Amino acid sequence: MAKPIMMPKFGQMTEVSTIVEWKKKEGDRVSRGDILFTVETDKSVMEVEAFVEGVLLKIVVPAGVSVPVNTIVGFIGEPGEPVPDVKPFGVDSQQAKEVPQKKEIAYVMAADAAQAKVVGTGGLVTPQPLLTASGQVETPPAPAVSPRARALARRLAIDVSKVKGSGPGGRVTEKDVLGYARDRGYTNLKITPAALELARREGIDVLEVIGTGSGGRITVEDVRRAIAEKPQPLSRMRQTIAARLTQSFTTQPHFYVTVGVDVTDLIEFRNKIKSQGAPYTVTDFVIQAVVVALQEFPEVNSSTDGHTVRRHQHVNIGLAVAVEGGLVVPVIRYAECKSMYEIAMEAKQLAEKARLGKLTPDEMSGGTFTISNLGMHNVDVFHAIINTGEGAILAVASAKLQPAVKDGQIVPRWLMNLTLSGDHRLIDGVTGARFVNALKSKLEDISLWQRLCVW
Amino acid sequence: MDVYDIVVIGAGPGGYPAAIRAAQLGAKVAIVEREYFGGTCLNWGCIPTKVFAGVASLVHQVRHKCNTGIRVQGIEVDYPALFQHKERVVHQLRNGVKQLLQAHGVNIVTGNGRFVDPHTIEVQSEGQRTCLTAKRVIIASGSTSLIPPQIPQHERIVDSRGFLALQQLPASLLVIGGGYIGCELACIAAVAGVRVTIVEMLDDVLTILDPDVRREVRSFMENILGIKIITGTKIEELDVPGTEVRVKTGNGEIVTDMVLVATGRKPVTDGLDIEKAGVKTDGRGFVIVDDYGRTNVGNIYAVGDVTGRMQLAHYATSQGLTVAENACKLTLQRFETVVPSVIFTIPEAASVGLTETMAKAEGRDVQIAKFRFGGLGRAVAAAETMGFVKLITDPGTDQLLGAAVVGPHATELIAELTVAVRAEITAKELASTIHAHPTFSEAWMEAAHAVHGLCVHAPPKKR
Repeated sequence: MAKPIMMPKFGQMTEVSTIVEWKKKEGDRVSRGDILFTVETDKSVMEVEAFVEGVLLKIVVPAGVSVPVNTIVGFIGEPGEPVPDVKPFGVDSQQAKEVPQKKEIAYVMAADAAQAKVVGTGGLVTPQPLLTASGQVETPPAPAVSPRARALARRLAIDVSKVKGSGPGGRVTEKDVLGYARDRGYTNLKITPAALELARREGIDVLEVIGTGSGGRITVEDVRRAIAEKPQPLSRMRQTIAARLTQSFTTQPHFYVTVGVDVTDLIEFRNKIKSQGAPYTVTDFVIQAVVVALQEFPEVNSSTDGHTVRRHQHVNIGLAVAVEGGLVVPVIRYAECKSMYEIAMEAKQLAEKARLGKLTPDEMSGGTFTISNLGMHNVDVFHAIINTGEGAILAVASAKLQPAVKDGQIVPRWLMNLTLSGDHRLIDGVTGARFVNALKSKLEDISLWQRLCVW
Repeated sequence: MDVYDIVVIGAGPGGYPAAIRAAQLGAKVAIVEREYFGGTCLNWGCIPTKVFAGVASLVHQVRHKCNTGIRVQGIEVDYPALFQHKERVVHQLRNGVKQLLQAHGVNIVTGNGRFVDPHTIEVQSEGQRTCLTAKRVIIASGSTSLIPPQIPQHERIVDSRGFLALQQLPASLLVIGGGYIGCELACIAAVAGVRVTIVEMLDDVLTILDPDVRREVRSFMENILGIKIITGTKIEELDVPGTEVRVKTGNGEIVTDMVLVATGRKPVTDGLDIEKAGVKTDGRGFVIVDDYGRTNVGNIYAVGDVTGRMQLAHYATSQGLTVAENACKLTLQRFETVVPSVIFTIPEAASVGLTETMAKAEGRDVQIAKFRFGGLGRAVAAAETMGFVKLITDPGTDQLLGAAVVGPHATELIAELTVAVRAEITAKELASTIHAHPTFSEAWMEAAHAVHGLCVHAPPKKR
């Protein structure tokens, strides 16, 4: 019997995934280990390989459609084998809007075994059979439009959804489109033939385009601008960023406290050991200082849902890394058990993997505190938004040579501002102030570093 | 001392229209010119060459239409008489420009202008000095032939200006540079009986045209006009031992009576002291302007060849009008972007907008359609069947992006497609537009039909 291919579960957090591309076509011979398709989770793109042999009999979920994990996405078997009957499941609302004409239906079946494994740099993740309740979103029914009305609107390059229907049940007729066009001054519209053709092809409403040609005529360039301005779906990554940061910023009351750290001695110390071959960056010192301080301030290494508080027993440091099109936050787990050298090396590896887009979902989850460093981008101070679910985040600004008062004298010193954004439900002002000052005193205490980073 | 709203430096095809348009808009205008009104175009460029090209084309036609019902005996070019005719033409037009400037109340200042500061122009003329104070200045000082430094100065070595001043043509001529200037003058000389050789460093002549278009011109120049064209070859040495010029090229020596250097043009900014106004130039000395004609100095604009953009008289004129309006009304109009190129070789060639070569370089997907004049009743009747028209369209929107034509009346025919490209017309509309029969312009309509594979006067494409 044909064996189903399931949408695997990538890590703990993933519930919905999208097939980016099928690497095999229906009818293709599939060997064990062949890449079947690539999947975009809310965090990264992964390859999924087959571990049964046979022929790809059917693709149930085409590329571009989001489905819950463990949805059946296709079947592998021997040629001619019957494909089991599967019952229609849900349609991802986002995708449905993009392809209004073609309803994509995904199928799901409570399967006994998952038939694919994930190949990622993080190794093998065992898919867990699990049926997610729904991916279905109700869309309001669009008013009916007669085919002639739709064709006319397309020919005129106007948006038929803006036309009020006069037919039964608000149905839009050809006459309605004509009347609408007349009322909106379509007859006086000046547009070049090529611009009209382009607008038709790209579905641009010419009534909304402002002409910049002579006498206000709409040119190809104007339509191109309108195309460029058309709302585009955010990338999967940006949608995740949007959802998470909005959740954090609207549910976790942020407050901010900034401290200026004199890093002159630290930089000198770091340059000294660097000349001896030590690999540490200033960030590595900040991470290490945070790891130590968090163990002294368990209330900062906590999270809350507003009713309960969870005191994390491990220090898992998230590092915000800018990547093409957004940012990701890989996590150094159990940092309190690791040496400064181990942490520095892991930070470097994770950042590299992040830039190559090779982080596994598990490498991006489980953080208890995040550090965001804009030090290399010449900023005086900035306020970060807490990574949702965590208790606080530290924003590291640039170290700058500035006049400072030391022993009653004004002297040039390297100063760096650290700003803590804390969830006020967990951390009060005094705690925040004490925490950032603990960081400050650690970073300014060279004897501490002589102990911590043996080189 | 008078304060002018606008002072224009240079009365060529960029400068004088700018001055007139500014005056039309109510500005108080002065124009500074050190030589003749009309600039290079009128005095040593477009106009005089067209006197010669017109005659050359006519003579060529008469010679080659013997089997179409004309019998002529002893047709020859009387060069000295032709030269006098050219002088009359140039005089008439030059005076015309002067009268137009005067009629519009533009103050004409003769002499060499130079900047004292961004608002002051000092004009020197025969010991006299005049200082003009200007709110805004338009630099339209033009360009001149660029002679490579290794080429010696000698009366047997001329540039285009020197060539057009010749009262008598040499028996043999070597043209260095196969651009449009070199090729136009080569055709004129060849028809007048001169043995002509063209040496071009690049792999082909007339490289601004698509390969299929220039191939048509080149093969005619070589096979019918008998011009020898050597491409991909550099001039290594050049000297004038006696009454002949010896030219050593990458593949052998050429002995010729005269050499015409047509290797490009350089900006004229000598004696202008533009650095005193703080105007920036690029590495080759061209004045840098933005798309509105503004230099880096707020009140100073520049138009035409001196800006190093397309060096064409009609582009300079268009820029001049745009800049005059920008300067007078403080508007921001961009330079026009659809600029036709016309080449008066035998046969003529012209193009506008995107070429196939440019589309390929940009990696842009385009559709090409051609129609040969051989399929056109009028062309057959006139016994002018060589050449073709070519359309470059966008396969998605059917927009006419560019056009080229080689053959009879090419330089006139391009006007229709210049309008079409600028107006963003589609091939379908061009095809639907009724073109009068029998005319050469029908070729455009046929080509436009061919875009959609619906050309009536061509056999169906083989599948």
